Amino acid sequence: MEFTILHLYPDCMSLYGEYANLAVLRRHLAAMGVSVTVETALFEDTPPFDRADFIYMGAGTERTQKAALAALLPHKEALRAAVDRGAVALFTGNAMELLGKSITEEESGKVWPCLGLADFTTEEVVYQVQGDVVARTSLWGSFVVGFMNKRSETYGVTTPLFGLVERGPGNAGDGGPEEGYVDGNVFATHLTGPILVKNPDFVDFLIRRIFELKGWALPEALPVLPYEREAYAVTLKELADQDADNPPGPYLQG
Amino acid sequence: MRLFLAVILCKALRFIGGLIGKGSSLPGQFALKVCPDALGRVRLPAHIIAVTGSNGKTSTVEMIAAILTASGKRVVYNKEGSNQIEGVATLILSNCTLGGRVKGDVLLLESDERYARHTFQWFHPTHFVITNLYRDQLTRNGHPEWVYDAVKAAIHPDTTLVLNADDPLVSCFARGHDPDKVKWFGLDECSVSTKEHHGVYHDGARCPVCKGRMEYSCYHYAHIGHYACPHCGHRRHDADFSVTALDLEGGTLTINGETRISLAFKSIYNVYNILAAWSVCALAGADKGTMAGVINNYILKNGRMITFTLGKHHGTLLTSKHENSVAYDTNLAYIAATGKPCTVLVIVDAISRKYFTGETSWLWDIDFDRLNAPHIGRVMLYGKYCNDLAVRFKYSQVPADKIDMGGDIREAAALLADHGDEDVYVVTCFSDRDKLLEHVARR
Repeated sequence: MEFTILHLYPDCMSLYGEYANLAVLRRHLAAMGVSVTVETALFEDTPPFDRADFIYMGAGTERTQKAALAALLPHKEALRAAVDRGAVALFTGNAMELLGKSITEEESGKVWPCLGLADFTTEEVVYQVQGDVVARTSLWGSFVVGFMNKRSETYGVTTPLFGLVERGPGNAGDGGPEEGYVDGNVFATHLTGPILVKNPDFVDFLIRRIFELKGWALPEALPVLPYEREAYAVTLKELADQDADNPPGPYLQG
Repeated sequence: MRLFLAVILCKALRFIGGLIGKGSSLPGQFALKVCPDALGRVRLPAHIIAVTGSNGKTSTVEMIAAILTASGKRVVYNKEGSNQIEGVATLILSNCTLGGRVKGDVLLLESDERYARHTFQWFHPTHFVITNLYRDQLTRNGHPEWVYDAVKAAIHPDTTLVLNADDPLVSCFARGHDPDKVKWFGLDECSVSTKEHHGVYHDGARCPVCKGRMEYSCYHYAHIGHYACPHCGHRRHDADFSVTALDLEGGTLTINGETRISLAFKSIYNVYNILAAWSVCALAGADKGTMAGVINNYILKNGRMITFTLGKHHGTLLTSKHENSVAYDTNLAYIAATGKPCTVLVIVDAISRKYFTGETSWLWDIDFDRLNAPHIGRVMLYGKYCNDLAVRFKYSQVPADKIDMGGDIREAAALLADHGDEDVYVVTCFSDRDKLLEHVARR
C-alpha cells in the first residue's frame, strides 16, 4: 500500500505548526502498514498533482495567502483533476478561502478571483475573529476542538464541514453556526494549526475515507497512538468547564 | 483647566494606588475620561523614545534608562511595563507639573506593539526603536504581519526610526520613510552565525515585500540574519551601529570596531538589546564612555531565572513564554548548553496567565529537539496539558525512554523531592511557575 501526500507551500503556508497535521497522518498510516511519501511544492514549482493521493495546505498571512493563490491558480485544473480522480484535499486556516470563488479586500475593495472549486466567497475584515472552537459534524461522532484566528468572513457555504458550532466563531464570524466546507473528497476548515493532532477522530475519518478511495481493506480497529485521545479529552473538558464558568464572551475583537 | 484636573486626579489615584499596590493603568484611564486629549496638551521633553517589538522591550528600556540617567538626564519611563495608552497616560500625567509640563529630559516608553497607534495619535516619539517581530501570542496578537501593520500605522513621518537591520520584516518600516530619519543596528557575521536556518519554522523563508524566496548569507538566530531578496531587491541595510565582533562563550562583544563590552548574560538576545539601547542612546547624545560603563556587565533584574532547592536537587526555573517559540527556544538552548547531567521538567498547566485558551498549536513551533543532548538524562512532562506535550515529544528527537509523563505539578515536585540529586531545570511560563515554586526552597 503506497500513498503520496502533497504538501503545498510548507515554507510559508504554515503559520501555526501545520506540518504536524501531515506528521500525525503519516504516522497513523504507517502504523497500518501504508508506505507514505511526502512531496512538497513551493510557489516556484509545478505541484505534482497527478501522483498525489492527499493534498494539503495550511494557513499563512494574508499577503502570503495571495502569493499562494497566484502560484496555485495556473494549476487549478490539475488540482481539480486530482480531486475528481479521488485524491483527498484538506485546506486549513485561510487556505480554505482559496477554494472558493473570491476574496475581497477590506480597504481597497480589491477582488481576488480564487480557484472556484467551491461556491463560497470571502470578505476580509479589519477586526480579528478569533477564539477556541467546539463544533459538531455529521461525519463522525465526537465534537471537534480547535482554534480560529482570522480577519475574514466567508459567505455562501451550503455544505459546511462542521454543521453546528457550539462555541467560537464560524464561517461568517459570529454570524452563523456553521464552519468549514466539505464536498466529496475536499475538506476545508478555517481552524488553524494541527487540527488533526487535536482531533484523533478526524484522522480516523480521513483514514477510512482514504482506504475506501484506494480500495484497500480496512482493518477492524484503527490504530490508537499514545496520548492523542487523552490530550483531546483534556482540551474538550477544559473548554466545557470554561463555558460552564463563563458564558462565551464576544468572539469578535475590535 | 481639564488638563489641570486630569493631572491632579492622576497624581491622587497614583498615590492611593501606590499605597494599596494597585495597577498602574487605572489613574491614566480616569484622567483620560476627565481630559480625553490630555496627552496632546501636555508639554513633553525634547527626547521621546519609544521601544516596541515582540521580544526584549522591557530589557532594552531598562538599559536605555540606566544609560541616559548615567548621562545626567532625567528619564521618565514606564518601569512597570504598563505599555498601553492608559499606562502611558498614568506615567506622563503623574510626572507632570500642575501646569502640564513633563518633569524630565527624556520620556522613555515601552510601547505595546498593537496599541502604539492609539498612544501616538496624541504625540509622536522623536525616536522609535523596533527590536524584532516574531510569532508571539498569536491567539491574542495575531501573526507578525498584523503586528507590523499595527505598528506601521503608529509611525509619524517626523520620527527617527531605529530599526533592527537583521529582521527582514522590521526593516520594511523604512519603506516610504525619509531615509535620513532611519538608523539601523545589526550584527555582523560572527561566531554565532550559521549558513543554515535553525528552528522548526522559518518566517524569513519568503521576502516580506514580494513573497519571493529570500536568500540569506548567514543566520544569527530564527529569521534574524543577513538577507537579500533576488526578486525585488529588499535586503539588509548596512548598519549605523554594529556589533562587529562577538564571543558569546567568552562573553564579550565589540561595537563599531572600537568599544568592547562584557556580557553578564551570554545570550544573543542580550546582544541585540544592548545594541538597540546603545544605538538610541548614542542618537540621544550619550557618549561612548558612559554607555560602555553602564552596559559593561550590566545585570538585568528581570526575575525570569529563579534558583531553588528541591530534595537533593539544585533547581533553576527558566520562565518561558508560552505562545512565543523564539523566547521559549532560548531557554531550551540554555539548558542544552549547560553540559552537566540534569533533568528537565516541562510544565504546561495554563496556556496564558492573562486569558483562557485551549490552543496548543504553538507547541509544534518549539524546537524540543534541542533537549536531545547526552547530559539531559530525563525530560518530565507535567501539568494539565502533559498529554499534548507527550504527543509533541513523540515527534521530537528526544528518545522515548528519557520521557517521564506525569500528572499534576505537585506530583512532579514530590517525585523530585524523594529521588535523585542531579540538577533540575524547570521550563514553564508566568502562569504556572508559582504552582511549582510553592513546593521548593528558594535560594
